[in-house]
Amino acid sequence: MGGSRPVPGIAGAAASSMSRRAMGQPRRITDSFPRRRRRGPGRPPGRLKDKDKDKEEAQGKAKVRDRPRAAPQPPPDPALLEMLRRFDLCWEYGPCTGITRLQRWERAQALGLSPPGPIRDALLEHRDNPDVTYSLWHEYEL
Amino acid sequence: MFSEQVAPTAQGLLGPPSAEPPTFPRVPVLGYSDCSGPFRPGERSFGRQYAHVYAVRLAGMRPTLEHRARGRWGSDAVLRKLSELQAGEKCCVVGTLFKAMQLQPSILQEISEEHNLVPQPPLPKYIQPSDELILEDELQRIKLEGAIDVQRLVTGTIVAVYGSEQDDGRFLVEDHCFADLPPPLPWNGPTSDRFVLLASGLGLGSGSGEALLSTQLLVDVVTGQLGAEGEQSCAAHISRVILAGNLLSQNTQSRDTINKAKYLTKKTQAASVEAVKMLDEILLQLCTSVPVDVMPGEFDPTNYTLPQQPLHRCMLPLASPYATLHLVTNPYQANLDGVRFLGTSGQNVSDIFKYSSMDDYLEILEWTLLAGHISPTAPDTLGCYPFYKSDPFILTECPHVYFCGNAPCFQSKLLQGAEGQRVLLVTVPDFSTTQTACLVNLRDLTCQPITFSGFGAEDEDGDMEVGH
Repeated sequence: MGGSRPVPGIAGAAASSMSRRAMGQPRRITDSFPRRRRRGPGRPPGRLKDKDKDKEEAQGKAKVRDRPRAAPQPPPDPALLEMLRRFDLCWEYGPCTGITRLQRWERAQALGLSPPGPIRDALLEHRDNPDVTYSLWHEYEL
Repeated sequence: MFSEQVAPTAQGLLGPPSAEPPTFPRVPVLGYSDCSGPFRPGERSFGRQYAHVYAVRLAGMRPTLEHRARGRWGSDAVLRKLSELQAGEKCCVVGTLFKAMQLQPSILQEISEEHNLVPQPPLPKYIQPSDELILEDELQRIKLEGAIDVQRLVTGTIVAVYGSEQDDGRFLVEDHCFADLPPPLPWNGPTSDRFVLLASGLGLGSGSGEALLSTQLLVDVVTGQLGAEGEQSCAAHISRVILAGNLLSQNTQSRDTINKAKYLTKKTQAASVEAVKMLDEILLQLCTSVPVDVMPGEFDPTNYTLPQQPLHRCMLPLASPYATLHLVTNPYQANLDGVRFLGTSGQNVSDIFKYSSMDDYLEILEWTLLAGHISPTAPDTLGCYPFYKSDPFILTECPHVYFCGNAPCFQSKLLQGAEGQRVLLVTVPDFSTTQTACLVNLRDLTCQPITFSGFGAEDEDGDMEVGH
């Protein structure tokens, strides 16, 4: 498995330590962009840290909570993500920013541009994974 | 309509009123269905760029334009994308027009510090001889020159050009064409005389009493409280009233209160509050008698971007309990008694007027119909919602009546299309300045103006003139 993606659940993963260059894979323009740690789909937005006693309990709970959530579904393999990235960069289906990949697929279908069917199946299968549903430039606003 | 039937019965006004006043029931509504669904986006997400609007506009209109191009320049005409152009080869390209105008107001220039420019005052027209036309498709753009009228066209139009690429990288246009009239709708109109009254620009809240007298006369004519029996029986044939925007006057829009200190503006009320109360009373009088469709306009309390959403019914507490009041979007599309109406409050036409050499509102209205798009300048110079799935302003079916509100004067024309389309084009004049409204006869698609005027302070009678 490529080491360039931070696995959800490992807090503070220093993703830069496992760079693509170190692994011998070809470099990308996006490598020079700052890496941001993404929150998993079910992580709470921001827990208030308790000042005293419950800290250890909370940490224990966090560890227990994260592990079952890491595998309700097998994570999508990089080939799938690569295919989705290529779908984003295809100019025939229109601009990809600001809308989800499924919305873009449906729009292309409605306009008669015949987008490939396997992409839609993949999008529906991994519906709750933000890496799959949102486009390549989702985190960069507008 | 009125004057032919009124003249013989005018003698009735000279005698005493009859013991049994005759009643004239209004013509019943044969059929009404609102087709403005595409103009209500439902969601309100502004986190998208406008590139999606242009992409779906081009993708949606490309098949129609390719069909027209083949019909005009032969079925063997070569259709190319800009990336496939070869120098000197005669071919046809479909794309979006962009007009590079020097005088176009640009927010970036205004806030740029290195220019130190004062923002330019609003001009009536922003065209200049040095403007250039550029054709864009999905990937590239190219400058156009040749048999294409740069001054007349505006940004955002989808066009098919026929010509060849020159050595200097420009495209020499020999001929061009637009989407032309959309396919016709079947005609289910009424067989007897039925009228729809179109009025726009009531301009309430302007502080002038003259306009109020004309508005009251209009309401009295429609509700049958004016004139002899002849006029009342004619008014009973009016089956609907459409108010096409600018119900409030521009004077209600002054935002001085924002710049003044809070302690000075504490007790003042926005001018639009009083104006909306007046509107409510006028609508109450109308709604008790006839179905009314109220479209918002440029100065009305609703959103600025097109498509404008209907006025909220909480602003009209007296009139909203009536089922005859319909608060509708701008643009508005509906089937009235089997006749398809489509119209706007005039923002699209006046925006094209500013950026094109066309001066006549009726000519611009006809041109938008032939270009296949209600407002091509949105979102470039006219505010528009960032659609992404489809562009609702593309004309897919040919309406029977196509109107725009707030025009400087009344004009109408019956347009016949090659595929059997019959469209009545109407520019509804601004009521607060011209005191003119339009009556459209649904049976034979004719239109006549009706003017109201009072003679001013020296003469106390308010008179009704009927102008043709």
